Amino acid sequence: VISLASAPRSGLEHLAVPGRYGAADGEAGVTLTLRTDLALAAVTARKDRHDALARRVDDTFGLALPRTPRRTTAGPIAFAWAGPGHWLASGEGIQGEVFETQLRRELADVASVTDQSDGRIVVRVSGPRARDALSKGVLVDLHPRAFQPGDTAVTSVAHIAVHFWQADPAPTYEFAAFRSSGTAFWEWLIASTAEFGVVVR
Amino acid sequence: VTNAAANFQDQPFRLASGGLIDRSRPLRATFDGREIAGFAGDTLASALLAGGTRLVGRSFKYHRPRGILAAGSEEPNALVELRTGARREPNSKATTVELYDGLEAASQNRWPSLRFDLLAVNSWLAPFLTAGFYYKTFMWPASFWERVYEPLIRRAAGLGRAAELPDPDRYEHANAFCDVLVIGAGPSGLAAALAAGRSGARVIVCDEDFLFGGRLLAESREINDTPGHLWAAGVVEELATLPDVRLMPRTTVFGVYDGGTYGALERVNDHVAVPPAHQPRQRLWRIVARRTVLAAGATERSIVFGGNDRPGVMLASAMRAYANRFAVAPGSTVAIFTNNDAGWHTAADLARSGIVVAAIVDSRRDLSPMAKDRACQARVIAGGEVVETKGKTLRAIAVRSASGSETIAVDALGLAGGWNPNVHLTCHLGGRPQWHADIAAYLPGSLPNGMAVVGAANGTMTLTRGVAEGVEAGRRLAEDLGFPPKPVDAPRADDETWAIAPLWHVAGSRQKAFVDLQNDVTVDDIALSEREGFRSVEHLKRYTTLGMATDQGRIANVNGLAIMAGLTGRSIPDTGTTRFRPPYTPVAIGALAGHHRGKHFRPVRLPPSHAWAQEQRAVFVETGPWLRAQYYPRDGERDWLDTVNREVRTVRSAVGFCDVSTLGKIEVHGPDAAAFLDRLYVNTFSTLPVGRVRYGIMLREDGFVLDDGTVARLAEHRFFMTTTTANAGRVFQHMQFCHQALWPELDVQFASATDQWAQFSVAGPRARDTLATIIDAPFDVGNAAFPYMAAAELTVCAGIAARLYRISFSGELAYEIGVPARYGDALARVLMDIGAPYGMAPYGTEALAVMRIEKGHVAGNEIDGRTTASDLGLGRMMSTKKDYIGRVMAGRPALLDPGRQTLVGLRPVNVHQRLRAGAHLIPLVGAPLAANDQGVVTSVAFSPSLDQWIGLGLLAHAARLAGRRVRAADPLRNGTVDVEVCPPCFIDPQGERLRD
Repeated sequence: VISLASAPRSGLEHLAVPGRYGAADGEAGVTLTLRTDLALAAVTARKDRHDALARRVDDTFGLALPRTPRRTTAGPIAFAWAGPGHWLASGEGIQGEVFETQLRRELADVASVTDQSDGRIVVRVSGPRARDALSKGVLVDLHPRAFQPGDTAVTSVAHIAVHFWQADPAPTYEFAAFRSSGTAFWEWLIASTAEFGVVVR
Repeated sequence: VTNAAANFQDQPFRLASGGLIDRSRPLRATFDGREIAGFAGDTLASALLAGGTRLVGRSFKYHRPRGILAAGSEEPNALVELRTGARREPNSKATTVELYDGLEAASQNRWPSLRFDLLAVNSWLAPFLTAGFYYKTFMWPASFWERVYEPLIRRAAGLGRAAELPDPDRYEHANAFCDVLVIGAGPSGLAAALAAGRSGARVIVCDEDFLFGGRLLAESREINDTPGHLWAAGVVEELATLPDVRLMPRTTVFGVYDGGTYGALERVNDHVAVPPAHQPRQRLWRIVARRTVLAAGATERSIVFGGNDRPGVMLASAMRAYANRFAVAPGSTVAIFTNNDAGWHTAADLARSGIVVAAIVDSRRDLSPMAKDRACQARVIAGGEVVETKGKTLRAIAVRSASGSETIAVDALGLAGGWNPNVHLTCHLGGRPQWHADIAAYLPGSLPNGMAVVGAANGTMTLTRGVAEGVEAGRRLAEDLGFPPKPVDAPRADDETWAIAPLWHVAGSRQKAFVDLQNDVTVDDIALSEREGFRSVEHLKRYTTLGMATDQGRIANVNGLAIMAGLTGRSIPDTGTTRFRPPYTPVAIGALAGHHRGKHFRPVRLPPSHAWAQEQRAVFVETGPWLRAQYYPRDGERDWLDTVNREVRTVRSAVGFCDVSTLGKIEVHGPDAAAFLDRLYVNTFSTLPVGRVRYGIMLREDGFVLDDGTVARLAEHRFFMTTTTANAGRVFQHMQFCHQALWPELDVQFASATDQWAQFSVAGPRARDTLATIIDAPFDVGNAAFPYMAAAELTVCAGIAARLYRISFSGELAYEIGVPARYGDALARVLMDIGAPYGMAPYGTEALAVMRIEKGHVAGNEIDGRTTASDLGLGRMMSTKKDYIGRVMAGRPALLDPGRQTLVGLRPVNVHQRLRAGAHLIPLVGAPLAANDQGVVTSVAFSPSLDQWIGLGLLAHAARLAGRRVRAADPLRNGTVDVEVCPPCFIDPQGERLRD
């Protein structure tokens, strides 16, 4: 049997090589981490089942389904608002199909679920200069008065569609971009963080 | 010390003390190859003046010698080329260029040299080069337009030379947000920033200068009993300690846009020879501000008279800046020509710096007492006018007054014609400036939302009032936003006098009197414009070019329209003013492009097999945002056609595969999914059994074809549809519109899965043999169990989730296999491996296109937004049993006209001839004229299967012409061939291979 699993690639391995890039002096201003441990799924509420879905998500995952641009988490599971009636669900350390199957089972009749684990790349961006670097493409105000941990936005960065959220006040942000745009997004990230010094984990 | 001393010797006009320069940091630069000296804190202009360089450039049209007129971004004359090689940059204003060690600058618009310029002959040709000369001169013969006149004009036109090499530097974009944006860091701007900043608001302060302080740097004023520039430094120091205040020097806010959005250009590294590694040269900011304080100051005006463009003639305010800020004497003996009190303040400052002021010529007869107090030792000529000037660089001025005419020897003349408040940014959203006769200036009219204007920009011409206005605006705007005000003491300043009696133009000289120095527009040009009927200010501007180019007429405009007002006997407000548009000062294209240049011009999307295809040395092609493998050349193949022919033959005789992941893929779920698809497509999907695929066509509302693709039913309420690569986004948008706006009652959900699945077409007689190797048991891929148009979810390679669709674009036995995208790269390798025994080869978009043309499948060339389903031979798919988008409009008479062009196959009668797409189809008898046009060749390919060129086309009366000959006329490429009209399918018309 020829194994496919022996050679998985995110499409970014050749770019996201761990190391230090850009300005070499001093503490790195930005740290980038490619997240490969996340299962992702698009969850869309069925017609008139919004409240039922929220109850089901609460019952199943102990998680308050966000109704505004927020991302709520409970343990390994998170739901990021992606538009009215739409969420991007994520599960840490879960396999994509397993996550899709689990969600379809738990949310049967209240939501439609589509695996997106392979459809997006997720990059974690943190460090003291993360905001300065991200401001070169993110059209959203990232100042703590305007955007806080748990906030999320569906927007575009350098003409690349992204869905991002703030993970912690460090600050740490996570950006999900379409897989096919991953290279373009990564190249923009490296170009924009270079002056601050960037470490790829 | 020696170095500094040597440096000082090269600067005969440098004052012995004073100025905001750092005399401990001498700098060396070159101008036209000659070394010049200066200090940190100098501009190129101040260093040139310190060294006694007066002649800096040649004018645009007449190539007249020109010097330095101003001390800021309003400079019309002193435009230089900066740097060399790939970094050469034309039209840099010497007055805003910060001096750095090793700076290389060169004069422009002169040949062979600055001192002796051959095109100065244009001055003699002036009678032919008047306003609008290019509308009158290059009229005939018409055959000269392209070949003679245009090259001639192009060579003579413009200023400076672009680098013509790729720019080695980086540019980038950035976004900033604030509560209060302060534009201009002069006294009132700093006061506003302090008031807003102390209250806790997020404040951004931008100033185009490298030092904050505005006119405080240039004038000898005091605030709170401290020199103004020190007060400014103190405020800047405090602002820097406030956590939510961002200070942005070297940043010009150049445009105002909707929703409180401002464009700003930060010159991050223009003040060094080469930007430090990883840093941009310039950064283009998009600043979103809830409130804005415009404190842009005012620009001093000129007075127009004969020879007023001579090097040595300067704005009085610029003289003040050079003396006070840069410690440079503008000349050895200076005169001031003024119509207001500001000229007197300049004279006083110059005298205090030890500069000889020979005369103050004031056009007013009655001079205010305070102005008289400031008269220093200079001779005062009240009610006087400077009529003209003498010298290549200024040697003397001719003055006329009640006591007669006289000549006064001076080498510098300062002009104080009043002030134009910098209202530009108030106009960008449509505001129209209003004339205020009391200060003889245009002031802001209606303002962009959230903007307050303070200080000189608001016509507040004295310091104490300007600063107070700033404090008040900063406090009020922050309070508007909910920030409780914190006390800011109103700064105390010594208010100067301010009075003006307008004087625009002094007649009576035969020398040219320039209104706009940058465009060489004279008083005569304005008079000509008036005589020829171009009297509206908008016409005046276009006809004479008054107020165009890099300075946007900041010094010239008001003089120009005042002169026009005089000529037409109208008042200035009746004459009106042109409105200002972005940008306030020029913005380099590189800054506008930012990251998006070269391969980053727009973000590229890469299919899952991209890295593998690169290893295979594939040639790539851009298809929309995607980069796809076009063909896979092998050693020994002569050209692309060789390769493509081999790839097609491989598929037709063995097996090949192609990455088709770029197709739009959409999951459609929900109890009403089938009903939704029925309304979306012309054909019916509710009848599609689970485990089957169907080809579908969807129309636009207007009845024309929007897109085509396939839909697989994976479960009762779960469909998987594909769109063409080009229309993926548009179709998804269309579906969202249909669901949200038209049929919200349907319980249907959809999600894009384009990036989730790596999808490969595996095509050819051995496709099944190949795939059978990796499909996990017990799935039966045999023809009976998995026939043509079957679809299934299964696993491959021991447990990898996959989807298999038996569909064919090539006309061969074919499948599309999808696996989660992470396995795409590996699957490509696996397919190569397991297909090897059958002769497997990858094929690219080119072979894909050849095979679809051979098979007669339509694509973007045919679905071009002007064709109906019937035109494409797909009319029978249009259901008559249900409604769907576009059904009604598709029934319009014109869309049912039997004379419409419909899809046909075309083959050259002479099998050796090449057919070209785009050729028009005409009868064999008849000229290649539009009147004889019967259709067009839409797609062509060399068919290795038929060993000749074939094509698809759209042809009128196709049924009648079937089997007959028409002409494919291509006179443009000399490629006219006779073709036979045939059915649009060249391979296996019965479709037996598909079902085999």
